[in-house]
Amino acid sequence: MKEQYDVLIIGGGAAGISAAKTLWLSGCRSIAIIEHKPSLGGILLQCAHTGFGAGLDGRDYAETLLMDFPKDIPCFCSTTVIRLFPDRSALLSNGHIIRFRLLILATGCREIPFGSLPVTGTRPSGAFTAGQMQEMINCHHYLPEGPAVILGSGDIGLIMAWQLLELGLKVTVVEKESHMTGLPVNRARLTGRDICFLPGTTILEIKGMPSLSGVTLSDGRFIPCRLLLSAVGLLPQRELLEGRKIPDWILPAGNCSHIHSRIESVIKEGASTAVKVLSLLDRAPSI
Amino acid sequence: MKSFDVAVIGGGVLGCFAARNLMRYRLSVVLIETREDVCMEITRANSAIIYAGYDHHPGSLKASLTVRANSSFDDLSRELDVPFSRCGSLMTAYGEQGLSVLRKKLEQGQKNGIPNLRLISGDEAREIEPMLSSSVRYALYAPSTGTVNPWKLGIAAFENARANGCEILLNSPVVSLEKEGGQYRIETADKEIFSKAIINCAGRSAVNIQDMLFPPSVRIRLDGADFYVFDSRSSHPGLILFEETENGKGITAVPCTEGNLLLDSPPRPYAAEYATTSEGLSVIRKEASKLMPSLDFHNVIRSFGGIRVNPETSDGKDIRDFCIQRPEKTFWSLIGVKTPGLTCANELGTLLASDCASVLEAQQNPNFLPERKAIHCSADSPIICQCENIRKAEVQAAILRGAVTFDGIKHRTGCGMGTCQGSRCRYEIEHLLKEKERSHEGTI
Ligand SMILES: Cc1cc2nc3c(=O)[nH]c(=O)nc-3n(C[C@H](O)[C@H](O)[C@H](O)COP(=O)(O)OP(=O)(O)OC[C@H]3O[C@@H](n4cnc5c(N)ncnc54)[C@H](O)[C@@H]3O)c2cc1C
Ligand SMILES: Cc1cc2nc3c(=O)[nH]c(=O)nc-3n(C[C@H](O)[C@H](O)[C@H](O)COP(=O)(O)OP(=O)(O)OC[C@H]3O[C@@H](n4cnc5c(N)ncnc54)[C@H](O)[C@@H]3O)c2cc1C
Repeated sequence: MKEQYDVLIIGGGAAGISAAKTLWLSGCRSIAIIEHKPSLGGILLQCAHTGFGAGLDGRDYAETLLMDFPKDIPCFCSTTVIRLFPDRSALLSNGHIIRFRLLILATGCREIPFGSLPVTGTRPSGAFTAGQMQEMINCHHYLPEGPAVILGSGDIGLIMAWQLLELGLKVTVVEKESHMTGLPVNRARLTGRDICFLPGTTILEIKGMPSLSGVTLSDGRFIPCRLLLSAVGLLPQRELLEGRKIPDWILPAGNCSHIHSRIESVIKEGASTAVKVLSLLDRAPSI
Repeated sequence: MKSFDVAVIGGGVLGCFAARNLMRYRLSVVLIETREDVCMEITRANSAIIYAGYDHHPGSLKASLTVRANSSFDDLSRELDVPFSRCGSLMTAYGEQGLSVLRKKLEQGQKNGIPNLRLISGDEAREIEPMLSSSVRYALYAPSTGTVNPWKLGIAAFENARANGCEILLNSPVVSLEKEGGQYRIETADKEIFSKAIINCAGRSAVNIQDMLFPPSVRIRLDGADFYVFDSRSSHPGLILFEETENGKGITAVPCTEGNLLLDSPPRPYAAEYATTSEGLSVIRKEASKLMPSLDFHNVIRSFGGIRVNPETSDGKDIRDFCIQRPEKTFWSLIGVKTPGLTCANELGTLLASDCASVLEAQQNPNFLPERKAIHCSADSPIICQCENIRKAEVQAAILRGAVTFDGIKHRTGCGMGTCQGSRCRYEIEHLLKEKERSHEGTI
């Protein structure tokens, strides 16, 4: 592992991949990607639904994305960036410190677990975030038991509703708005399917300990369930900033910059961030 | 059928410390616990405070044990390698009524021999803790108050007891007790055990255990508690705050050893098992904003509920001091040990163990090793919990030491305690747990 690079990219999801490719093809050779997981691809690897590019599912999309990925770009997988320091260096989980001139932060997004929502009651097993369950099912062959309740009818909520239906579970989706809020493509996947949609309400209380027995809604109804998923939005994953403002030598990209609902815009932003980095590199202090 | 000198019933923090201290003597000891792991009940949901000792009447057992426990906590935490921070505390008051409470505590504290206790003005308090609101007018400053990780403490005592030869029976609810030939016959769901003495630390069920053999003499009443946990990356006070309001006890704010802020509500009526209530949580919000106006509730990562057990006489009067029952020379019960039970766990254990050893005429155990080492691991293992930077090798070590559930891992390593609440690491951890289970099945 070299100790310094002109550009360090944290996160090997779609945004990091796209940025790295663009930099490399523009002749910028002093770059590296650090990825926490064992392989590149990020969230794409857990998406078994179609809807990426021309009707591909997430994993196929990742495969095409990586097909022309320059093999000489150093990628350190199963390696996590633990801390960033103001002298433009990063501490890795393997103890190495890497110095760089500019940083692309492509760490993706995080979900909001039930613990941080204003939901009272118990904290039983059986409550998950939607993306977490998606990863469990699609990457680890986990088979959840229903009936299931999903809080939130945004894209991820609807995608998970579809997946759980495919697995034969009974699914209820609870949404505070009066309609499903996800993209048309994700709503369309559910038309004609036997799903219980409860608009205009939310979950107030979780019941059951140590295992989940159900949820109480704001209209007083009790919905029995064994599986509960929160799908109430995503937040850019910026824990490495430790609450500080983004300095001029860090450029966020992909979901770490803002939440994207389409892969095309993530790819585009990865590339445009790379172009920006190239223009800043002349002026950035040398190491 | 197996026979022991002493059976400790219940593996909460009190049972674990009773067992640990019994091992200081030449005694055969068994710790019997209902759950699959220790410290899964009352001990899992408390405020993590090591009290200074000014809350209790001079001369009471609570006062003397708390003061002693507090002054020796640095040594204990070093011995057991458990995170402890002597961060100090401020008990704050908004007006004259609160001030009179602080005065009483000051006087009590001085009589109890607490070092450096001071009554200070609101301005002085804000110098110590800038987050305090301008409406705080007085405060009682106790630099000796501290905070410990309660799970790591209880589990450390458990591991230390086990390392010194204590036998452990998990998944073993005691279902009946009888006297047989001068011994106790203890029946669990699937075993029969004999012992010469019993130390009953069954927490909320201690009364029921005692009632299996003796006529009822005390009872318990349950209250609830609500907690909020804030992200360790958010700004919060640097020491413990006890809010005293015009209506009595307010909220408590604790900067935990792991870096999170913990807020807890004053006692409220019992709801469901370990469930939070919207009333309790809204009291915390209201009072916390009064005490620390700049506190940002967007940084809350979790809320959870606790159960407070209050001992009462059979005619319903509160028992204020620690309620140690001894219906027979060789039978001790800790009934409804609430605050400061965590603080005094080692002291209570020491007390019971020495009583028990003298009744059984047991000698000191020259081979007793008081030290226990926490899980430490090298930097070549990959990170599993990105919020708290916990490594795979630490999780594997926790499994080897007895964790069988995600919560067990969480209590031992801190995995899943952070912002994402385990949503990124839980599956991988469950996977490691299953692997271990399978390798176990393979060996049988
Ligand atoms: C559940 C879900 C479903 C979606 N479905 C669709 C769809 O159907 N169609 C569509 O067009 N778009 C969809 N999108 C949108 C889009 O495809 C994704 O948002 C996109 O893949 C995100 O890419 P990213 O690189 O920003 O983030 P990610 O793919 O999340 O990549 C971030 C990477 O950073 C790594 N990382 C994080 N922190 C560190 C660290 N400290 N050190 C090292 N590595 C780190 C992570 O392990 C991860 O691999 C979906 C998004 C989500 C969340
Ligand atoms: C809300 C709250 C906040 C607190 N804050 C503090 C604080 O800040 N500082 C402080 O010093 N103290 C505090 N305390 C007090 C402290 O938490 C308790 O005194 C302590 O945890 C009690 O431990 P325990 O071992 O008695 O109970 P438990 O942890 O409940 O242990 C009892 C064990 O017995 C087992 N058991 C029950 N029945 C049986 C059976 N039949 N057979 C076998 N096993 C059985 C249970 O499974 C359990 O594991 C607080 C308490 C509460 C409720």
